[in-house]
Amino acid sequence: MSYDQIPAPAINPESKPFWDAAAEGKFLLRRCPACKEAHFWPRTICPLCHKADTEWEESPGEGTIYTWTVMRKSPRGPFALGYLELDEGPRVYVEFRPEDHDALAIGKRAKIMFHPVKDGAPMMFAQLV
Amino acid sequence: MTIKGVASIVGIYEHPLRIAPDKSTPQLHYECAQGALADAGLTFEDVDGYFCAGDAPAVMSMADYMGLTNLTYFNGTDIGGASYIAHLNEAAAAIAMGRCKVVLVTLAGRPRSEKPQPRPQGAEAGWETPYGGSPPNIYALAAHRHMHEFGTTSEQLAWIKVAASHHAQYNPHAMLQNVVTVEEVVNSPMVADPLHRLDCCVVSEGGGAFIVTTPEIAKSLGKPDVRLQGAAQAIKGQNGGRIDLTYSGAVYTGPKAMEEAGVKPSDFRYASIYDSFTITVLMQLEDCGFCEKGKGGAFVADGNLISGQGKLAFNTDGGGLCNNHPVNRGGLTKVLEAVRQLRGEAHPRVQVPDCHLAFVTGIGGTLAVRHGAASAVLERIA
Repeated sequence: MSYDQIPAPAINPESKPFWDAAAEGKFLLRRCPACKEAHFWPRTICPLCHKADTEWEESPGEGTIYTWTVMRKSPRGPFALGYLELDEGPRVYVEFRPEDHDALAIGKRAKIMFHPVKDGAPMMFAQLV
Repeated sequence: MTIKGVASIVGIYEHPLRIAPDKSTPQLHYECAQGALADAGLTFEDVDGYFCAGDAPAVMSMADYMGLTNLTYFNGTDIGGASYIAHLNEAAAAIAMGRCKVVLVTLAGRPRSEKPQPRPQGAEAGWETPYGGSPPNIYALAAHRHMHEFGTTSEQLAWIKVAASHHAQYNPHAMLQNVVTVEEVVNSPMVADPLHRLDCCVVSEGGGAFIVTTPEIAKSLGKPDVRLQGAAQAIKGQNGGRIDLTYSGAVYTGPKAMEEAGVKPSDFRYASIYDSFTITVLMQLEDCGFCEKGKGGAFVADGNLISGQGKLAFNTDGGGLCNNHPVNRGGLTKVLEAVRQLRGEAHPRVQVPDCHLAFVTGIGGTLAVRHGAASAVLERIA
């Protein structure tokens, strides 16, 4: 699997702070001051209670694997997708780094990481811890 | 207010081609429309409602191409391969409101001959699109979790493909006509853990169409009256990260459609269940109440979905797993085979004797990221 074949993520004004933080290796969530819940992917208006403007917070990005799969063949080689259930609650759809393909299992601990993709843009991945 | 009994399916057509390198996509839609109208005994002039989804050019382009000049209602709802089951619901609602009387629904495309059009992306694109996840690995995510929670096995999933292949052997148009065994399915190459190649549907071209109209017009045409008795649609997404992969949107649509029709799962001896992958069938069977949640593996095992052998015959044309999955969208062909069963026009080897009630359900989009679900209950009115 080559990171260079992964296109850079599309960025818009709502998502820009996330990707700016990602460039510094920081993982941001948004949390709602009204219902107190964190959600993913980030939205300015809470998708759970629809009430308040949500607020950015930095997260360690740690959690447990909810499910996973390895796509055995693709134009960029085998790659692994899954959901990481963050300790803050949200289940995050994410690609697991190639080094971990053979060790993935539901319930294992993992964390969010960033790695450069095409044109050097940072993209979100996960690794076992 | 209900759509129960307000609309009937009077025309169906399935394009015989599975590879169509020498035709255009609008041409295939037009041929399917022509076939369904001929089956109904109606003309293009009779059509005042036209529904299509993302496999078609924009609805106004298609209407112009086919010379549909009498339209008073149209719709482009796109929930992937389940769109056309939702269109049944929407067509019946439009007919009930008096907005139109004869609705044409078409599906067609050429995924082997031309690149699919890129679709407009949502706010999630930054976090999803770069990975290039595709249906096999995204459906696999739900399959893995199902196995983890309920102990479902690859052998149990394989029975779904085995049943489809038993039916496909009688369909001369089916892409895969060989009967396969559980061993052959589980020993086929792994595509995306835990789904094997034979857990996946075929990729085919072609398409299909159906015509929905009022029971009065249906009666005047002298066709068997296949009545829509209940329908429902839903969208299931990630819910801000609270996604639960143990169920699909069919958990909402199956029971709702049956409630509207006043029937229960045990009333059905035939069901058309969208089979993009084996896991798609298993989850919908559970979600629609044909068995308890988590017991889908035991339900499908040992040929229970094989016509003439098991309790619930499914996809007797061979389904998307063996027959046809035009443009990677299998909802429309599910409606077609249900109508064939209700008319007594399925292949004699797979026809359910005196089939008067059929269930149709589908999931479009991606099971484990976000999808649309739609279900319908069809009944033959004597």
